Amino acid sequence: MKSFAKKIWVLIFTFSIITIAFMYILTDFLYEQLYVEDTESSMVEFGKRLTTKYKGGAVTNELIAEIEEHNNFGVYNVFAVRNPRELSACLPFEINHHALIGPEERKQLLAGEAVTKIGYEERFERDVISVILPFTDENRLEGILYLYYPLAKISELAKEEVLLLLACVLAFTLAVGYFIAKALGRILRPLRELQRAAKEVTKGNYDTRVAVTSSDEVGQLSDAFNQMAQAIQQEDESKKAFLATVSHELRTPISYVKGYSESVQNGTLTGEKAEEAIHLIAREANRMERLTNELMQLVHADTEESELYPLVLAEAIRDVVHLVENKVATKGIDLQMVLDEELIIEADEEKFKQIMINLLENAIRYSNPGKAVHIITTLEEPYADIQVIDYGIGIPPEDVPKITERFYRVNKARSRADGGSGLGLSIVDQLVKQHKGLLTIKSELGKGTTVSVKLPLMEE
Amino acid sequence: MKRFSRLILLILMCLGGCSADHFAEINPHQPFVATVNIGEPSLTFYDTAGNHIATWPFDKAYTGGTLIQQDRILMYGHQLTEAHLYELSSGKKIKTLKTGIGTTNAYYDEASRQFYLTNSESNTVTSYDMQGRKGKQQKLYNYPMSMTAYDGKLYVINYKDTVLSVLDSHSLKVVDEWKIEPSSHGLQVVKEQMWMGGHGQGAKPNETIDVYDLQQGILQRQIHAPLMPIAFARHEDNIAVISHGTSMLYEMTTTGELAQEIKIGANPFAVAYFHDRLVVAGYDDHMLYMIEEGQVLTQVKTNEGPFQLIVRENRE
Repeated sequence: MKSFAKKIWVLIFTFSIITIAFMYILTDFLYEQLYVEDTESSMVEFGKRLTTKYKGGAVTNELIAEIEEHNNFGVYNVFAVRNPRELSACLPFEINHHALIGPEERKQLLAGEAVTKIGYEERFERDVISVILPFTDENRLEGILYLYYPLAKISELAKEEVLLLLACVLAFTLAVGYFIAKALGRILRPLRELQRAAKEVTKGNYDTRVAVTSSDEVGQLSDAFNQMAQAIQQEDESKKAFLATVSHELRTPISYVKGYSESVQNGTLTGEKAEEAIHLIAREANRMERLTNELMQLVHADTEESELYPLVLAEAIRDVVHLVENKVATKGIDLQMVLDEELIIEADEEKFKQIMINLLENAIRYSNPGKAVHIITTLEEPYADIQVIDYGIGIPPEDVPKITERFYRVNKARSRADGGSGLGLSIVDQLVKQHKGLLTIKSELGKGTTVSVKLPLMEE
Repeated sequence: MKRFSRLILLILMCLGGCSADHFAEINPHQPFVATVNIGEPSLTFYDTAGNHIATWPFDKAYTGGTLIQQDRILMYGHQLTEAHLYELSSGKKIKTLKTGIGTTNAYYDEASRQFYLTNSESNTVTSYDMQGRKGKQQKLYNYPMSMTAYDGKLYVINYKDTVLSVLDSHSLKVVDEWKIEPSSHGLQVVKEQMWMGGHGQGAKPNETIDVYDLQQGILQRQIHAPLMPIAFARHEDNIAVISHGTSMLYEMTTTGELAQEIKIGANPFAVAYFHDRLVVAGYDDHMLYMIEEGQVLTQVKTNEGPFQLIVRENRE
């Protein structure tokens, strides 16, 4: 009883059996009830017609004979009785013999009502429907008209068909069971398919998909499964790509370091050249350090919880600008700020500074010397909008949407020449998301880039 | 004031309720015929013209009653353990008799100044004196019921047996036993003969009055009186017979010749002479009929199931 399908089958099958049994009983009951009732009422009707033969006075032999005549033609057994002993006339005296009618029935008949009985009648030694009608004259119960019809005949009627009926019920039940099983198999096939696919995904086959054949709950589940599998597959692929990129990024500086250090060790490079090589080794080591730092930041941005608190925006920006002053000066960048002094944002100071450093470094890095970089903050309820605008090389339109992906670089060839790791905007993107902010990048190739970061204002 | 009168009314009602056995008083000089109704246990009293005098509704299932002398009525019930003596002039219950269950009949014999109760549980007859004190008891056959006394003897029919017991009316010693038909009921002494009615055996209804020789107890002849003659009344030389199976009232001479017959009531069980008239109670139609010269003079509605008639004529 493990399978879901089996459980449902048993449930439905049981209900079907119960329904069939109930219907059988109900039908039987109704049949008998209606038949008996119908018989009873037609007996009463027939009896009432017969009683019109009685014209009052004593019940005569002729009348009795005439009524008994009807037994030769009629469906019901009928006879007339005038014997007061049979009519319980001796009550309240105790009577030893079993009269045809009892005291209550006598009362009813005296009132002119018809008496109907269903059950075993000692007189006829069988179950009968009896209808008794009175012959009354001036309040006297002169006699009765007694009609009866054996009940056995009614049940016999039903019994003849009972075997056939049972066979039909059995066949019907089997058919119902078979069709329920078939239908369930059909309904539950997508579920089995899903089960198989889930196992495949567990094994690592992320490209497994199930066919969506319906729009019902099972179909929706299949659809959701496919989406989930796709998401897992994408995640897996990006993880692989990320690892490949990381290895690639690290391999180049390592091979530099390895090559130059071996050369210095071997004595291939000497004097000024060796000096230069050591300088190169140091530069590449720095690169690796920065790369690993940024990787750490990325991981942290993913996992660390941010603690948000009110931060005076203009002040924080000035702090960051102070940090990059050297670079600005080295490249001769004209850094200008238009800051709204009143803006207070909800932010994690360290993380906010990281965002700003990354954006400013990018702006400086991709600007030609002597160009301007603008930092503008404005109020845009419920955000503070921080724009970092450069007039540098810009980004081709097709690259803009992918610019926040890890290790994505617009110019793959000069990756290391311009000093970027390709992680800066990824980190920014992550951190802005943590602040529940918005990041938009607009760029025109050769004209410059505007990065807008919207961060939530402090709630008052 | 209103409240006060209500209180009085309440107290009166309570008193009335407390003395439920106190019924309407019957004038000692008032001749009456009363029906013992067993459908709704009660006594209904009528005067000579058939006017209703009083009704005594009972809360006990009495099945019969008999007049004792002039001012007392003994009421008994087959399923009751007690019989009660009521005083007509005061309407009060004056005595309770511990009879035990199964009392089938009560008979008052003016000659011996005793009354007798038959019992179908113990199959006995017991005599009581005028004060209701228990006298003798005699074990009889199955279901003693119908009784009459004549000439120092008490005749008792054993209803579910084939024996009539003849007892000494004082000692209750059995002096004779006659062979009779089962389900016999109704006794009338007519000129050294005993007329006996009955219901009949099994499904066959009895159609005759069996006439026995009073001394020998031998069946002498049968008078045709269909169906099921079970009650008699005598006034001088007229014998009234009621046959409940056909609701026939026959009036006969002492020799059994039919003087007149009349179909009367529905399933009547009781007949009596009252002020030279015949009185019949119809059990099924709950009517009391007064008949004179074959004509119904008066008919009045009684309570449900008038089963017996009790007659008190003027005190001589």
